[in-house]
Amino acid sequence: MTSDLIYICAGSGLVGLALYRLSTCRDMLLRVLSLNVLAVGVAMLFLASARHAGITDAVPQAFVLTGIVVLVAVTAALLALAERVDGQDDE
Amino acid sequence: MTPILYVLGLTLTTAGVGFLLIAALGVWRLPDVMSRLHALTKADTAGLTLIALGAACLTGRLDTLLALGLCIILVGLSGATMGHLIARTHLSETDSE
Amino acid sequence: MSLAFDILLTIGIFFTAAATLGMRDRVGSVVGFVVAGLLVALSWVRLGAPDVALAEAAIGAGLTGALLLRSSGRLKPVERLISPPSHRFIVALIAAAFAGALAWAVYTASGAALYPALVSERLASSGVTNPVTAVLLNFRAWDTLLEIAVLFAALILVRIVAPAVPQPVALGELMLPFARIIVPMCAFLAGHLLWQGASVPGGAFQAGAMLAGGLLVLMLGGFAAPTPRLMSWGAMLALVGLAVFSLAALGAEVLTGTLLLYPDGTAKFWILGIEAALTLSIAAMLCLLFCGVPRRPLK
Repeated sequence: MTSDLIYICAGSGLVGLALYRLSTCRDMLLRVLSLNVLAVGVAMLFLASARHAGITDAVPQAFVLTGIVVLVAVTAALLALAERVDGQDDE
Repeated sequence: MTPILYVLGLTLTTAGVGFLLIAALGVWRLPDVMSRLHALTKADTAGLTLIALGAACLTGRLDTLLALGLCIILVGLSGATMGHLIARTHLSETDSE
Repeated sequence: MSLAFDILLTIGIFFTAAATLGMRDRVGSVVGFVVAGLLVALSWVRLGAPDVALAEAAIGAGLTGALLLRSSGRLKPVERLISPPSHRFIVALIAAAFAGALAWAVYTASGAALYPALVSERLASSGVTNPVTAVLLNFRAWDTLLEIAVLFAALILVRIVAPAVPQPVALGELMLPFARIIVPMCAFLAGHLLWQGASVPGGAFQAGAMLAGGLLVLMLGGFAAPTPRLMSWGAMLALVGLAVFSLAALGAEVLTGTLLLYPDGTAKFWILGIEAALTLSIAAMLCLLFCGVPRRPLK
């Protein structure tokens, strides 16, 4: 059992956990949290399959880096929208 | 890497892990926010410092020691400030009740 | 030995994530997320991706945690789970089956690794020696340009939706000594990360995130109040990165005929210039995503 298999299992476990929570919960904050965990799981799958003979491929690393930055932008936008929708329900 | 440095590194790291376990035990079992803050700021920072010093001894290089020293300073600083802020908030919340 | 460490780390990540997503307390969820983010950063180091580890710790755990914490105080509490237990059971089965199928598919997928050879043979002419920086700012610079555009689009959305600006409260006497040490150190470390990103793990994104952390300490500690004037300066700084990158792309097109193909021998200077502008711009963008962008009142 190589360490790649461990991280692949962990990554898909995180993906499954995030999908479960995303489908069964109504709280916006928890949904945004599940989205973040989903992205982390996918990134783990990406990087675990990018190891060849001990060296990690540079292109998937760049993709995951881009993904992290895009995820923070999406999280900020989603939270701004969630706050606005919450305020809308008040009116 | 000399055997002395190796043994010293192992001892420091083990002691640091022990301190961190005590900190975790304290955060779990202590009853009040204020007493948990004691466990967190003191034992946590001490454990981290010992582990960092042990890791620097185990690698045996000077630039690692400098980088880990910076880590220790930053963690100690932010730990102290965080403890202060949490205590302030807790006091203001309990005072207003 | 390292296998045992990997197993323990992944068990820790999984259970922290499960605790985060299953907790009733909002602040506890966010704190659990930050802890999971730090453990995940450790796993990136184990997988041989230190650049990604730096970015995950700074942006993924730190800044996302700050954003979530800001919103957790503002969103109204909602009933957590409205699905009946039978629904949850079926969804859990489907999710577990999907996760298992995904793991099996990724593990048994065989493909030729064609990127490492391509990257290593062109690395010498790319101007930097860190392959990740070379891929981000030279080989796939187009993706990075679009990424900055995505950040900018999120900023526009935040401006239109206009969440409330976090007003700093008085945080006590310890903030001033803390800020006196942390803010210059953040600026210094950001410059260091930017410069060393050419040869060892580092780069513009990590440096920008560290600078954003310093700016947030300034703002939340009450030393630089988020006045509209200050934030419009921040918005202009955010535009600088996108503008410099686009101008560099067009300039490269004018000079060599292909978009973002740097002229021979000068790639190092192009990359450094773009990275410097990107650092300032990313710091400003991340801060503005946290604070909200001010709207000038219509006259």
